[in-house]
Amino acid sequence: MGQLVRRPEGLIGVVILTIFFVLAVVPVLFVGPLQTAVTATGSRLEAPSAAHIFGTDELGRDMLNLTVHGARISLSIGLLATFVTVALGVVVGIVAGFVGGFADSGLMRVTDFFLVIPTFVLALILTPIIQDVVGSAATEVFGIRMSLVVIIFVIGITSWSSTARIIRSQTLSLRERAFVDRARVVGSSNGHIMRRHILPNVINLIVANAVLTFAGAVLLETTLSFVGLGDPFQPSWGQLLNAAEEVGAATLGAWWYFVPPGACIVLVVFAFTLLGTALDDLLNPRRRMRR
Amino acid sequence: MKVGYLGRRLASAFVTILLIALINFLLFRAMPGSPERILMRNTPNVTEEMKQAARVRWGLDKPVFPDQLIAYFQSTARGDLGFSFAARGAPVLDVISARIWPTIILFGLGELLAIIGGLALGAYTGWKRGGWVDQVGNGVSLVLYATPYFLLGMAFLLIFGLALRWFPTYGMLTAGAQYHSIWDRAADFGSHLVLPLVVVAIGLIGQYAIIMRSSIIETLSEEYVTTARAMGLRDSRVLRHHALPNALLPTVSLIAINLGYIVAGAITLEVVFNWPGLGTLTVEALTARDYPVLQGVFLLLCVSVVLANLAADLVYAMLDPRVRT
Repeated sequence: MGQLVRRPEGLIGVVILTIFFVLAVVPVLFVGPLQTAVTATGSRLEAPSAAHIFGTDELGRDMLNLTVHGARISLSIGLLATFVTVALGVVVGIVAGFVGGFADSGLMRVTDFFLVIPTFVLALILTPIIQDVVGSAATEVFGIRMSLVVIIFVIGITSWSSTARIIRSQTLSLRERAFVDRARVVGSSNGHIMRRHILPNVINLIVANAVLTFAGAVLLETTLSFVGLGDPFQPSWGQLLNAAEEVGAATLGAWWYFVPPGACIVLVVFAFTLLGTALDDLLNPRRRMRR
Repeated sequence: MKVGYLGRRLASAFVTILLIALINFLLFRAMPGSPERILMRNTPNVTEEMKQAARVRWGLDKPVFPDQLIAYFQSTARGDLGFSFAARGAPVLDVISARIWPTIILFGLGELLAIIGGLALGAYTGWKRGGWVDQVGNGVSLVLYATPYFLLGMAFLLIFGLALRWFPTYGMLTAGAQYHSIWDRAADFGSHLVLPLVVVAIGLIGQYAIIMRSSIIETLSEEYVTTARAMGLRDSRVLRHHALPNALLPTVSLIAINLGYIVAGAITLEVVFNWPGLGTLTVEALTARDYPVLQGVFLLLCVSVVLANLAADLVYAMLDPRVRT
């Protein structure tokens, strides 16, 4: 961690992300509960003023309030989607790399297939179908509404393939190392070696990859919400942008509607990317050897 | 040997396309509760006869495997992609082909501009490494990477369309306009094209610049460049005749890979500018849950990406014999 903060990209990334994460974890502390149409505090599309620093939306809700709560939604979805993506990618990658043979070729064919298909298009067609099947019940999982849970799931199952490829390459090279042979001689099963020997050695790679995956997940969720698949009752930044687009904020000159959520997205993804490349530089064993 | 490589790539692309078509089919027919539930989504008071009649009409009364599956593959191969829900039963193929040209024009031109601009920028920064253009360019690319296309589009719309009033903000042609000549029409089209085109080009330019830059840097360290310079050839000649052709190789692959990534940006950008292409069609179909159209677009986009990747592989193999193993 110390080394990370010493690099300028790492420092900027960590600072920006810390700010956003604090806002996301306890938004109520900073701006109060999420405003609804009923509890709106302003009138329609007010420009920024002393009372509303970021102006209001078409229902009169304070944009600052919406944007800060949006942080919680966007980042939670991103985090959970990253879990799913990384879990899938790591399992596929380690198993394919370690077991080899038919399992490897089979898994790699599936991975390549998912790599070729444009992620967004697949997500775009899967999401409405699953959302319709699941129904529009207002049930919540971890405090997140069902339609957003579907988005988390879909992002997870469409984005895992690049993680799988990366982990697999690393597993392939680890497999040849002495400690694996020693474990086999002692009689450890495949599963045991994969869990206790391979996995700890790919953790570094997983972390760097997870950070970049997080950025991708936030962008994907934003785009999916922008085309209307998000949830207006739990507005993420993408959902706010969708609302801005539907109201015609850009042509009405209501820049305060889309600039705050938009700027937040750019900052967060930018920070994640900086952090991810800094981590990759630090932790990637191949790059270390070049230095 | 070349036939072997060609054959293998073609076969692999063919299998991928088959799989895509299969997934398309399964998504709609095999999900629990669908397709009847999706068809009858918002219709109250549906009687059993109506349901049965709808089933027969859409071919849903036959067993899924193999009758519906075979029928699906047969009709897709013929180009019959079903009928649109929202467009009152118009064939999906017609609905899609009506909207395809605006998209091709916008993104084709945008890609072209991005390639020309990106290669020029990349060549310049690669040649003069470390200059301020280089550093600023790096930072800007990073920020652009983090910015979704549509956000950039909204900002441009506001600044150049609304605030400065330089360009129109809506659609492809002015609604209800009378054109006295083809030049008037072309001018109107052009003025509507500028803003979305600029956004598309900006979004893509960074990648080409980066690729070109690293290619140039790598090429410059090769021995034949040192030789050429020792022979007294001017820098610009060395750049053009020796460095450039080699640097172009990775660009070919990049164009194909980009197609996959552009698609997300394409769909959302068109919505922002209300450009009447495939993007707005997709979002309209999405909102109306017009599944036949969605499936048609899905099929079209995925197949295009696969074919583009195939084409890029083959062109690359033609240009660089080292790959053909």
